[in-house]
Amino acid sequence: MVESTRARSDEPQSDPRKADALSAGPVPVGTPTVRSAFDEDHPPSAELISDCVHCGFCLSTCPTYTLWGEEMDSPRGRIDLMKAGLQGAPLSDTMVQHFDACLGCMACVTACPSGVQYDKLIEATRVQVERHHTRSPGDRAMRTAIFALFPYKKRLRALRGPLRAYQASGLPKVVRRSGLLDRLAPKLAAMEGLAPVLEKREKLPERVPATGARRAVVGMLTGCVQGEFFPGVNAATARVLAAEGCDVIIPRRQGCCGALSVHNGRQEEAESFARATIDAFESAGVDAVVVNAAGCGSSMKEYADILADDPDYAERAKAFSGKVRDVSEFLAELGSVAPRHPLEVTVAYHDACHLGHAQGIRSQPRNLLKEIPGLQLREIAEAEVCCGSAGIWNVLNPEPARELGDRKARNIAGTGAELLVTANPGCLMQVSSSLERQGTRIGLAHTIEVIDASIRGLPVSTLGPQH
Amino acid sequence: MTTIDLDTARTRLSDACAEVTDATPADAVDGVPAALVARPGSTEETAAVLRAAAAAGLTVVPRGRGTKLSWGRPPESADVVLDLSRMNRVLDHAAGDLIVDTQAGALLSDVQQTAGSAGQRLALDEPVAGGTVGGMLATNASGPGRVAVGTARDLLIGVTVVRADGVVAKAGGRVVKNVAGYDLGKLVIGSFGTLVVVTQAVFRLHPVPAARRFVTVPFGTPEDASRLVQSVVHAQVVPAAVEVEWRVDGAGTVGVLLEGTPAGVEARTTTTRRLLGAGADAAEAAPPGWGVLPWTDEPGSTGLKLTCALSGLAPVLTAARRAAEDAGVALTVRGSGGAGVLYASLGADASVEAVADVVARTRAVCTEHGGALVVVDGPPAVKSAVDVWGPVPAIDLMRRVKEQFDPERRLAPGRFVGGI
Amino acid sequence: MSGTHGTETTAGPVLGDTPPEATSATGEAGDNAAGIAAVGRVARALMPETGVIADPTQLRTYECDGLAHYRVTPALVVLPETTEQLAAVVKACSEHGVPFVARGSGTGLSGGALPRADGVLLVTSRMRTIREIRRADQRAIVEPGVINLDVTRAATPEGYYYAPDPSSQQICSIGGNLAENSGGAHCLKYGFTSNHVLGTELITPQGDVVSLGGLAPDSPGYDLLGTVVGSEGTLGIATTATVRLVRLPEEVRTLLVGFHTTDDAGAATSAIISAGVLPAAIEMMDALAIEAAEAAVHCNYPAGAGAVLVIELDGASAEVEHEYQLVERFCQENGSFELRLATDATERALIWRGRKSAFAAVGRISPDYIVQDGVIPRTALPEVLRAIAELSSSSGVRVANVFHAGDGNLHPLVLFDGEKEGATEAAEKVSGAILDLCITHGGAITGEHGVGVDKAAYMPKMFTDDDLDTMQLVRCAFDPGNISNPGKIFPTPRLCGEVPGKRKKAHPLVEAGLADAF
Ligand SMILES: Cc1cc2nc3c(=O)[nH]c(=O)nc-3n(C[C@@H](O)[C@H](O)[C@H](O)COP(=O)(O)OP(=O)(O)OC[C@H]3O[C@@H](n4cnc5c(N)ncnc54)[C@H](O)[C@@H]3O)c2cc1C
Ligand SMILES: Cc1cc2nc3c(=O)[nH]c(=O)nc-3n(C[C@H](O)[C@H](O)[C@H](O)COP(=O)(O)OP(=O)(O)OC[C@H]3O[C@@H](n4cnc5c(N)ncnc54)[C@H](O)[C@@H]3O)c2cc1C
Ligand code: SF4
Ligand code: SF4
Repeated sequence: MVESTRARSDEPQSDPRKADALSAGPVPVGTPTVRSAFDEDHPPSAELISDCVHCGFCLSTCPTYTLWGEEMDSPRGRIDLMKAGLQGAPLSDTMVQHFDACLGCMACVTACPSGVQYDKLIEATRVQVERHHTRSPGDRAMRTAIFALFPYKKRLRALRGPLRAYQASGLPKVVRRSGLLDRLAPKLAAMEGLAPVLEKREKLPERVPATGARRAVVGMLTGCVQGEFFPGVNAATARVLAAEGCDVIIPRRQGCCGALSVHNGRQEEAESFARATIDAFESAGVDAVVVNAAGCGSSMKEYADILADDPDYAERAKAFSGKVRDVSEFLAELGSVAPRHPLEVTVAYHDACHLGHAQGIRSQPRNLLKEIPGLQLREIAEAEVCCGSAGIWNVLNPEPARELGDRKARNIAGTGAELLVTANPGCLMQVSSSLERQGTRIGLAHTIEVIDASIRGLPVSTLGPQH
Repeated sequence: MTTIDLDTARTRLSDACAEVTDATPADAVDGVPAALVARPGSTEETAAVLRAAAAAGLTVVPRGRGTKLSWGRPPESADVVLDLSRMNRVLDHAAGDLIVDTQAGALLSDVQQTAGSAGQRLALDEPVAGGTVGGMLATNASGPGRVAVGTARDLLIGVTVVRADGVVAKAGGRVVKNVAGYDLGKLVIGSFGTLVVVTQAVFRLHPVPAARRFVTVPFGTPEDASRLVQSVVHAQVVPAAVEVEWRVDGAGTVGVLLEGTPAGVEARTTTTRRLLGAGADAAEAAPPGWGVLPWTDEPGSTGLKLTCALSGLAPVLTAARRAAEDAGVALTVRGSGGAGVLYASLGADASVEAVADVVARTRAVCTEHGGALVVVDGPPAVKSAVDVWGPVPAIDLMRRVKEQFDPERRLAPGRFVGGI
Repeated sequence: MSGTHGTETTAGPVLGDTPPEATSATGEAGDNAAGIAAVGRVARALMPETGVIADPTQLRTYECDGLAHYRVTPALVVLPETTEQLAAVVKACSEHGVPFVARGSGTGLSGGALPRADGVLLVTSRMRTIREIRRADQRAIVEPGVINLDVTRAATPEGYYYAPDPSSQQICSIGGNLAENSGGAHCLKYGFTSNHVLGTELITPQGDVVSLGGLAPDSPGYDLLGTVVGSEGTLGIATTATVRLVRLPEEVRTLLVGFHTTDDAGAATSAIISAGVLPAAIEMMDALAIEAAEAAVHCNYPAGAGAVLVIELDGASAEVEHEYQLVERFCQENGSFELRLATDATERALIWRGRKSAFAAVGRISPDYIVQDGVIPRTALPEVLRAIAELSSSSGVRVANVFHAGDGNLHPLVLFDGEKEGATEAAEKVSGAILDLCITHGGAITGEHGVGVDKAAYMPKMFTDDDLDTMQLVRCAFDPGNISNPGKIFPTPRLCGEVPGKRKKAHPLVEAGLADAF
């Protein structure tokens, strides 16, 4: 049964279906009426589109298809829409609505046996949408606010503390006026609940030396949300890397990696974040750049594409992307030497989309967890379907995001595990509010925190507060 | 015989078919006297007979060996008995492909013999001995083995039929897998000769298992029977048959057939005995009465087919017994508890009213549990007094199908559901 | 519609294709606009706003099913959520003479769900509730849009599963399966959809809801259910299905066996079956198909194999052990060079992933390809495979073979590059010739993908006019107005005589000289 929870009513999107399009009579196939959807500057590639054989294998893993059961909100349908755009169909509000509704979770990329590079297609499409589509004022305000807030550590810091959002005077006006804070408030509260209570923001040094023999020198990305709301995760990452014999370099200059901008078609912004991140790490002379947030790692691995047209950076970006590793990926490659202490706990591992689908990293975190004596790993049903967090998607589409979160929470509860482990702050925040609504008591932790606790011999109770 | 006289009819049919004789009283169809018997030797000749019958306005009842001719309602009229006993050849056994192609008049036992020569079988029981392939298809007869491989609908892969207007048509083919066009074979199965005349059929075969074992256990109450049946079907012993027999004196047996390799059957027998509990016995030979329709033991008795969802077994058994006791009728039940298809007989001495009462009360419970009750066979007085077929949900659509295939109601009129 | 009958072409040069010409199978855009508007009004009154799609851009996403070569934009798409809504819309179609086409997940490979330009597409993707899992009865009752694999997922905790497993099981719908009588790898032992659907609630083309079959087998009367299964949506729309659940086997052994040639693999298959072993599945892939699967899912099949067999044995442990020994021996006796037994669920899944992704994976090694579906008697396998190889080498068109070896259901994948001049035609010729081979060997033109629009023109090669006419008697009984998925299966529609209260003037096809009234 499908409930139509699309955020259409309270979302500033026009609904062309309201017009009686029936009276339009025969359907013009591919006849340009206004202007064609895309310009010549890197439109979604016709060649990549033609890789799609229309088999539909991607549909069941697509969160929007799962929610609404309609072809336009499936990967296959979106590819059809892109194709229609290339053939001259206009970039109508309707068309944009379906591109916007895509979470960018890349489950479809994993599912596709034909190797369709939907990630490339949707990114190209989003850039075109940003260029050519005029959004409604409300929608515009919301987006501006988001991009004025998230990538900036100081502004995010102003949000810390229970419901501080309402008084947060340090925020730009555009954020305060957009209604964004109202939407964020409940989630921020949930997030505060998540952050380990006793933890003080440990200021990480610029260099954490390896314990014992040095096996590698790595750089570490601290991320903006990760750094602000889950500083414990960064601290744990640094400790584990050091325990495994890495010198960890944490450049002070680093800022946002640009993931949000990349995934939302804000090309120039994305490029400048990418350049800054490369600059910050290049001089550090590291073997690898280790990232503990799935979304960040996935976009940093894409820098080569993002900066491909920049003569100054193209080569450097390629080299940089080649060094980026998710922390679990890196640890698995390195092989563990630090002894693990037992953790008697049942764990449900949730694949963050940007780790599993975008980076293909599934076995590594599981294997690392399984190395821990006493730890029992459980699989979550429908593991491939997104939890609904998806960067800013849950902010823009609160109702369907809640539905996806609730679905995920039900499946998590179904495992009966005591601890939910994932590698993404967005997912933890998203799922925690659903779990809370549903009354499921379960601890939440980042993969690296579990490994850290095991290496340090801490009890299970230190891992994420019981929710 | 309304439109023309017998002589004209005989002449016309004789032009179409080499063997046409006058019917004898023995050719009567369930008490309805026939005028002529035509014995075509081929599909073409069958078609010619039907065309001649159509031209002369004669009703036609197809017949194999007449073993189940009294099943269903008696036809309204049976001018011509279309006897298929000359079309009795097993045409082709492609052992490598596990299929057999046979004329419809062939004895089922001949088909089994042919297949058996290569260690194969048509996995269908023969609840009434001596029947033909066509008769088995038309009545959709089945026995204990349906639990494992199903019934005719699961084994028939190709069929040649002759329509009431004499047009010959095929559907399906000689390969197991085939989705080209409508599956007319399914329509033919269980149609009691009212839709078309089947002249040829192709079946999928199965290997004959190397070993078989029957495990039986007595039961007291319907609930016990149901519990035993459920324990076997939900286990992983892969039974070939799960039979329930509830005799006239109220004593009952659940019987399980295991088929496979000697070692496999041995191990599964042990498991099955454990499931069935104390008192379970295993034997190489079938227990007495295995797969025999209960009413065939007693001439003049009424034969019922009771179907229900598996969970309806106990309520259906209970309802049938209570109704029989209340009406003072002797009741025997025997059938596939594991498939939800039971056969019952009501004693020959039961009055028409008593039978009607048992039928009505039991039918209600069968229906409540997703099934139906059909009076398969019985004395003419009973069949004319009770609703043999009972209510049928999609009867309008069925009528429309009949109208398309046989608009003049030439084939066995009145025999089937809703007077079709 | 271009002259590509008998073939299933996927992923044609996307930008080049133009709207197809209107034919009797597709209807003409703009026809009966008033009727369609009326149906739209009925639908809108019953359904939420998102349940009726008329926006031209959105409609385009429904142009085709899994056979993307045929594309027709429907006049209207309706996404009902309940049987009542669906029935009311069908009734409106019937009243206004508007053709309708049912669609499940749109993965069909014969264009069965190809819309009508003058009709309504009724999509069941929002009717996806599993109503009941009835363990005691070994049945499940599901809505038509429920995804095949989800039935198994729901039944597994009870120790049961739904046996028919098309390669597309992760997304194809039960309604689509029912309509196509879909098969799958495990149908060798367990049978097809028709053996597992015991009941359905059908909306007739007049909009009435009738119940066929049910929880118990052998419903009295004609087996209309058996006829509806496999009728490709031409006899009405299924709104629920009661399906059989099968007990999970005690043991499953999945083997991957490497052979040097397809001949050897074929001989091993025959030896296994002749010895009376009935595996749950025997699937074969040749070298080219292995290459594609490797590229797509890195399934790590034996290197250098000319063919592999995926064999699955299941059942009671004691039986499986015995069968395993036989299978191992027959493979070795017929020249296998590597035999791997999956030791856990992950390894089993990997073996199957290679096989199940094979069709779509061919996209990795060829820009375009045709998925063919034909059946031959199993004993003809070696001969037919050789003939296909000859066809391939003489025409220069590459053919990859993936198939259900156990039951002789071939899926040759004919590879081509649509950009190259004449390549499409050459591929279509080879594809057609393969079907001819099937027919001359006593086989069938489709084993599981159905006839649809794609093979309608091939039906007369397999069936006589009388055969087809007789099948259409059933059609006339169910759908005298010829509005339920018209233009599919049958090359020429049969006229059903008087349709009570409808069509006063001569049928347009008769007027056009395209058909004779019978
Ligand atoms: C377009 C996009 C799609 C993504 N899809 C998925 C996905 O499907 N599944 C998945 O597991 N991960 C997904 N991610 C990963 C994302 O959720 C990561 O959290 C983020 O990109 C990296 O973490 P960060 O906090 O260090 O990143 P930053 O980029 O510094 O911070 C942005 C993050 O802020 C988060 N955020 C902050 N406050 C809130 C709030 N109140 N409510 C909701 N979110 C808040 C967002 O989740 C967003 O990810 C996606 C990311 C993006 C940009
Ligand atoms: C990669 C791939 C692999 C495949 N492998 C197999 C395989 O192994 N075996 C196999 O058999 N098939 C296979 N198929 C074909 C296809 O998946 C099946 O035919 C499937 O049953 C179609 O289901 P669907 O829900 O996608 O139906 P659709 O494509 O939407 O529709 C198929 C037909 O069913 C009709 N229909 C749909 N729903 C209903 C309903 N409720 N009532 C009446 N009619 C309805 C439609 O009108 C149409 O004629 C494969 C397809 C692909 C793309
Ligand atoms: S990225 Fe996710 S939401 Fe977008 S089409 Fe793919 S599966 Fe659907
Ligand atoms: S799985 Fe890939 S090829 Fe199939 S429809 Fe989706 S994107 Fe297209």
